[in-house]
Amino acid sequence: MLQFLFDTLSRSSDLALIALGLSLVYGLAKFPNIAHVQYAMLGAFASVVLQRAGTPLALALGMASLLAGSLAVLCNLWVFSRLRRQGPAIAMIGSLALAMILVAAALAGHGASPLAYRLPLSAPWVLGPLFVAPNQALAMGVTLAVLLACTWLLLGTRQGRAMRALACNPPLAAAAGLDAERIIHAVHFLGAALAGLGGALLALNTGAYVNLGNDLLLPIFAAAILGGLGNPLGAVFGGLLIALAETLVTNLNIGWLYGQPMAFVPAGYIGAASFVILLLALLLRPYGLFDREVRRV
Amino acid sequence: MSTLLTVTGVTKAFAGNAVLQGVDFAIGPGEIVGVIGPNGSGKSTLLNAISGFTPVDAGRIELGGAPLQRLAPHRIHGLGLARTFQLPAMPEKMTVFEVLLAADNRRHGFWASLCGGAEQRAQEAASRALATQWLGELLLTGVRDTPAAALSGGQKKLLSVGCALMGNPRLLMLDEPTAGVHPNLRRDMVAMLQGLAARGIALLIVEHDMHFIGELCQRCIVLDRGRVVAQCTPAQLSQHPQVLQAYLGSEHPVVLEAAV
Amino acid sequence: MFDFCLHVLTLACLYGLMALALNLQAGYAGLLNFGHIAFVGVGAYAVGIGRLAGWPLPLSMLAGVACAMLLGVAVARLGRNLASDYWGIATLAVAEIVRIVVLNQSGMAGGAQGISALPGPLDALPETAQPLAFAVLGLFAVALAAWLSARLAASRFGRALRLLREQPALASCLGYDLGRLKRSATLASAAVAALAGSLLAGYTHFVSPDYLLAAQTFLVWSMLMIGGAGRVAGVLLGTVLVQGVYSFVPLARDLLGLGSETVGALRLGLIGAILLLCLLWRSAGLLPERLRTLP
Repeated sequence: MLQFLFDTLSRSSDLALIALGLSLVYGLAKFPNIAHVQYAMLGAFASVVLQRAGTPLALALGMASLLAGSLAVLCNLWVFSRLRRQGPAIAMIGSLALAMILVAAALAGHGASPLAYRLPLSAPWVLGPLFVAPNQALAMGVTLAVLLACTWLLLGTRQGRAMRALACNPPLAAAAGLDAERIIHAVHFLGAALAGLGGALLALNTGAYVNLGNDLLLPIFAAAILGGLGNPLGAVFGGLLIALAETLVTNLNIGWLYGQPMAFVPAGYIGAASFVILLLALLLRPYGLFDREVRRV
Repeated sequence: MSTLLTVTGVTKAFAGNAVLQGVDFAIGPGEIVGVIGPNGSGKSTLLNAISGFTPVDAGRIELGGAPLQRLAPHRIHGLGLARTFQLPAMPEKMTVFEVLLAADNRRHGFWASLCGGAEQRAQEAASRALATQWLGELLLTGVRDTPAAALSGGQKKLLSVGCALMGNPRLLMLDEPTAGVHPNLRRDMVAMLQGLAARGIALLIVEHDMHFIGELCQRCIVLDRGRVVAQCTPAQLSQHPQVLQAYLGSEHPVVLEAAV
Repeated sequence: MFDFCLHVLTLACLYGLMALALNLQAGYAGLLNFGHIAFVGVGAYAVGIGRLAGWPLPLSMLAGVACAMLLGVAVARLGRNLASDYWGIATLAVAEIVRIVVLNQSGMAGGAQGISALPGPLDALPETAQPLAFAVLGLFAVALAAWLSARLAASRFGRALRLLREQPALASCLGYDLGRLKRSATLASAAVAALAGSLLAGYTHFVSPDYLLAAQTFLVWSMLMIGGAGRVAGVLLGTVLVQGVYSFVPLARDLLGLGSETVGALRLGLIGAILLLCLLWRSAGLLPERLRTLP
């Protein structure tokens, strides 16, 4: 039972930062950025490559995050600031094109094989009934710290208030003297930096690989939509729910269905769990679990 | 007098904010009724509630005896109710003529359209004749092949009236029809709308221009903070104590003088 | 070389069918379906499962179209009260679920290996005549679909779809049942896409879960956006361009001596770049939809 809880928390920490970033950017840019998960993929590659080249791990993580953020600012400057004017559909397809280019770049730069950090092998810590890999613990610790920092940034600072004001009512915020362009750039930077860091942390367990972004696409969107796109902290809870569902499906004993003592859902279907939850969420709560506002149809 | 539209006890609140609080009134066939009231008195919400865009919390809305309050907008249109919007948004990639044709929704099914046939061609010809007629009456013939989104605000208003009329409604609801329309055209509009009423189409008009209301309407419904505070002829408005009460504070009572 | 050109032409025709099908939804009705490939996959797998069950080919194709249309009803139902971008994500999820199901159904759908030795519609012809005959069949199918699409766009139904795409609130208050319009467009699209999938499976004599990758949907989308959504000629031009890049990059590999991973990267990157440039400089596509001036 404890192991189950731990696995859930570990998986949700994988999703949390990236989903938080996606939701943050959606709140301002008002379109689902498909390229967002590719920032995570690039962050993973950047961090792994830097670490293998001799950079200390902490520095590699930080630099990967900065790199992803800077890339997003450039993308926003050249692509999204122009496409957004033509409506969310065009912007969404533009993000799709960007995602293709980023995947192609990773494929051309490295190839299809995964690339892992060069870390000393360490035995898992045994804490009572719990097996904890040090890498997992590190990823969860960093995620928690960054989440707390983001919460403080959004809820406790002037900048955070400006971001939320702009997300709620752009014309009013602009009239109140907020520099919308600057804030949008800042939010793109922050969102992608979170995604890059999330990807780099994820690579601690899985290594960096070309399809890392594509594999994350639906779980991340499911998490962000469950929390209500544009509600950053909701996305973290959405990630928790998705992780819970995935872990539950993995560990669910469905032997009683077949009259056997032990039978589990085939591992291949685990990925489908989050999509099914996403569909249910969209059917039942089209605007997320924590949203009571009336919105456009 | 027989009634066409009956509104009884309609109530609507947005997030605890009561916008309509028990609105009652009725309209007969061919009657021209104005809805006036200060900003925020619930006029547009009332129109949205009747046309099915805003579900009401309580109350009954009947058109010719059929209840409307649970129907979707397209079903309400099917019962003979058409409306225009305060700020009509028009398609970018359709011409004015095409928008008018699209406003006639008869025989638009997939198979009927794909297979064609004599009936389909006859319907298309009838729609084109009707659309051409309304283009002329609404003075839009000159912009027939312009993209509808490129029209001026006033022309869009006229086009949305034309769209509403393409469906042969029994009741037409206009949301501020004269805002942005050239003053010369306003007189033509009065004549045209009176012509519609003479054909038996009832009109419910939300309007700020008291000259227009005074010339056109037989009766006025005055809304204030979601309640009907008065129903009277336009000429009686400036003597009505509740009406003065409603307008004092938010808008200057001078606007009412115009209607006399 | 001639055979290679015939192969490219046939593939272009089959993808053209898929793109025309997507155009019915995305171009005419403005529906952001990012799970379009699910319809194609259902059509392709119907041929495969039909062979395993011993059905004649026409029956499997018909069953595929019927199943795709059922899926279409479900997908359209999902969109009844969703904003369009949310619906796009939902359709992406539906397509992934279909892919995961066939990937894990090793008994009925062949699992990751897929199903091979599928029957084709032209198996009765001699082996040497088949490539040419299939190209002609493909051209005929695309021409028919293009004619029907253009006819639909000019009809009263097409006009209603345009009004739905441009101003849904106006369409709704003019008496159009938006849910029904969306459903009709999705059903027509699903049927054509499933047919394209059946033909593709019949042409390659093979079907696998890779046919259902989300990247395939994105490929069809780029055809639509590069050429010009909403206009049949534009969609066909986009198909030819994208299919050209896709097929002739391997030729460049042989000329320049590139690795196979570079080919994949080059294909993806080139199509992404063309799509992005098109969106930035000609967001309506190379052949944009025209205003219809009527007599």
